[in-house]
Amino acid sequence: MTSRAVTFSKVEKTYKRPRLLGAAYHTAVQDLSFDIPAGEITGLLGLNGAGKTTIMKLITGLLFPTAGSLKVFGLPPSGQPAKAKVGFLPELPYFPPQVKPGAALAYYGRLSGLSGKDLSLAVAAALERTGLEPHAHKRVAEFSKGMLQRLGLAQALLHRPDLLVLDEPVSGLDPLAIHDIRKLLAGLNAEGRTIFLSSHSISEVEKLCGRVLIMVRGRLAKTVSRAEWEAAPGGLEAIFVEAVK
Amino acid sequence: MPGAGRRAPRGLGLLLAALLALGAGGGAAYYGYNSPFPPPQEIRVPPQGAAGDMFALAFGARRLFADMWFVRLMQYYGTEEFAGDEESEADPGHKHDEHCRHGANFGTGKYPGFLPMARHILEIDPGFVSAGLYGAGSLAFNMGRTAEAEELLAYGLRYSPKEWKYLKVLAAIGYSKAEDPAAVAGQIQPLLKEPDCPVMLKQLAAFLNKKIGNYAAAAVIYADIALTSRDEAYVLNARRELARLARRTVR
Amino acid sequence: MKNWLPLTWAVAANSFGESVRHRFFTLFSVFAFTAIYASVLAGVMAVDEEARVLADLGLALMELTTLAYVLFQASSSLLKEAETKTIYLVFSRPVPRWIYLAGKMGGVMLTAAFMLAVMSCMHLALLYFRGFALPAAYGWALAGSFCKLAVITAFAFFVSLFSTSSVSTLVISGILWTLGHFVSETRFMAEHAYGIKAVLLKAVIWLIPNLQLFNARDAAGAAAAIAPAAFLAGAAWILAAYLASLWLLARKEF
Repeated sequence: MTSRAVTFSKVEKTYKRPRLLGAAYHTAVQDLSFDIPAGEITGLLGLNGAGKTTIMKLITGLLFPTAGSLKVFGLPPSGQPAKAKVGFLPELPYFPPQVKPGAALAYYGRLSGLSGKDLSLAVAAALERTGLEPHAHKRVAEFSKGMLQRLGLAQALLHRPDLLVLDEPVSGLDPLAIHDIRKLLAGLNAEGRTIFLSSHSISEVEKLCGRVLIMVRGRLAKTVSRAEWEAAPGGLEAIFVEAVK
Repeated sequence: MPGAGRRAPRGLGLLLAALLALGAGGGAAYYGYNSPFPPPQEIRVPPQGAAGDMFALAFGARRLFADMWFVRLMQYYGTEEFAGDEESEADPGHKHDEHCRHGANFGTGKYPGFLPMARHILEIDPGFVSAGLYGAGSLAFNMGRTAEAEELLAYGLRYSPKEWKYLKVLAAIGYSKAEDPAAVAGQIQPLLKEPDCPVMLKQLAAFLNKKIGNYAAAAVIYADIALTSRDEAYVLNARRELARLARRTVR
Repeated sequence: MKNWLPLTWAVAANSFGESVRHRFFTLFSVFAFTAIYASVLAGVMAVDEEARVLADLGLALMELTTLAYVLFQASSSLLKEAETKTIYLVFSRPVPRWIYLAGKMGGVMLTAAFMLAVMSCMHLALLYFRGFALPAAYGWALAGSFCKLAVITAFAFFVSLFSTSSVSTLVISGILWTLGHFVSETRFMAEHAYGIKAVLLKAVIWLIPNLQLFNARDAAGAAAAIAPAAFLAGAAWILAAYLASLWLLARKEF
């Protein structure tokens, strides 16, 4: 396994929006070059529209770069081998309301190539790991926001990916749920998994991450290590505010 | 080009293959299918039916709309053929004129839309043999309009050339013109056991058999009508005739 | 890839499950049940042709009800997955897009087959209670309806990938359905037309699926059997729509 989980090299992504006459172009990220070290938790901070979700979708193969190149564990991100190593939690994941969590996870497990006993074990492990086992009998419609977020995390863990890409994993959660998710992510990282997460919450990123990338209007403004922000007078918040001004 | 994803994994090859498959499908359909239905310009739509016909073609429901037209035809013609005594019914050998009072509820000159409606059923669904037989039988043997009946059968034969029942009824019409009720009954006889034989032809066959003194055959046909028909008027009449035949036998 | 079949089945089974769990499925089922049994009134008016009218009305209702529902599913299925971001959870996994598309189309076609099967049981029960035997070529009529629905489902998926809303997909697919029943008439007109009109009409014949090929319920008796050429044409049309859909889906970003 390469020491770099993700490598961006001069990546650009421009969206094309068709109009009545011609098209409108919007460059979401440009000249983006960075690495995500394997086995670490790396955070991604930025204001709305900075390009955070675009980066996440480029890593998971949902978007294709307009220019530059990117690799996930040395592989093209849109290829099946790379996707087998990645678990993705989008912002506000949706599950059919009338199904039970086990059935929902079983479907995604099958899509990840699991079957038979391996699938049952993976579903059970994911439910237990995310604290959803006591709620396994309920339908998704009865889930709270925190439980839905855990279910989203559970589907990302099913196939034991090497890289977890999490888009706003604690968005809208209460403090207790945030604490549980944080503990879970720390545990996953301790097993050697690489975690790449985006968040609006600077304090959460400070607690979890060893490194943070700060995006400003589609460009990588700053890369900050834990040592740097711990040494800085205002902490990560001050560095972030300075970068986005 | 800005805005375009750099990767278009399968490109034009897929699109060309799709067009090829579409062409293959079109070709298989073009050479493998000949429409059994009359061409569009032959469809003469009665005024009240144009919208329905469009739906019939648009939804591939020709048979269903032909059924609806058949129900309309029966409603148009009515079910009062047997309101009077059966002896006063139209006789295949009897010539009608404008003063004729036989068949009190129908007669020459009434039901001017009958042929167009009956033909329209076959234009929509040429396979609706029962409607063709009903229409021709009503025109020829109830209304005495043999020319129209022959025109209807000729149209039916154009799209169902192997339909022997049409040929039998044509022959029966010929014999009726020659005032030979026994021959008429003989021509209709093979149709009676067919599932698409209209009950009015059975009724006619029974009447003709009775007329020529073949009471046993008449009774068999009336019994069949009483057992199988769902038309109350025909069933009641059949039972009445069976009672009469029974009284005649006792005498 | 060796596990393409289990993956395709997983997507198809999920799509089928979502279809039959949808609240509209219950609505359509109730409507179909009511309509099929209300057709008794029409049958009674036809007197001695009641068997024919019940059979024709029932088969037509079954086909149109199933058409409405599968078009609804085909036009909204991919759009809904994109809107709810469910598609992120699928395409971030090692699921090739061709498998996903095949599974989705297969799931809706499975739904069509299921609906036809259930409604035909209701219909046959009605015919039995009215004292009628199994109508001639009933199996062919059902097979023909399914083939038609399979073709239009595939085309609806293709349209849904470039149209802006599920309503426009429904409308376009509905127009294609009706045009597909007019291909024979179009062919007749093409044979009697000249110049650019003839070229355009011939293009229509070759590009629009001739759904009359599968209309076994409009044929009589032995003529109802669907010819092998029809199955080949149907397979080709479904393949064409699938490949064109894949061309669009492969380029689509989410």
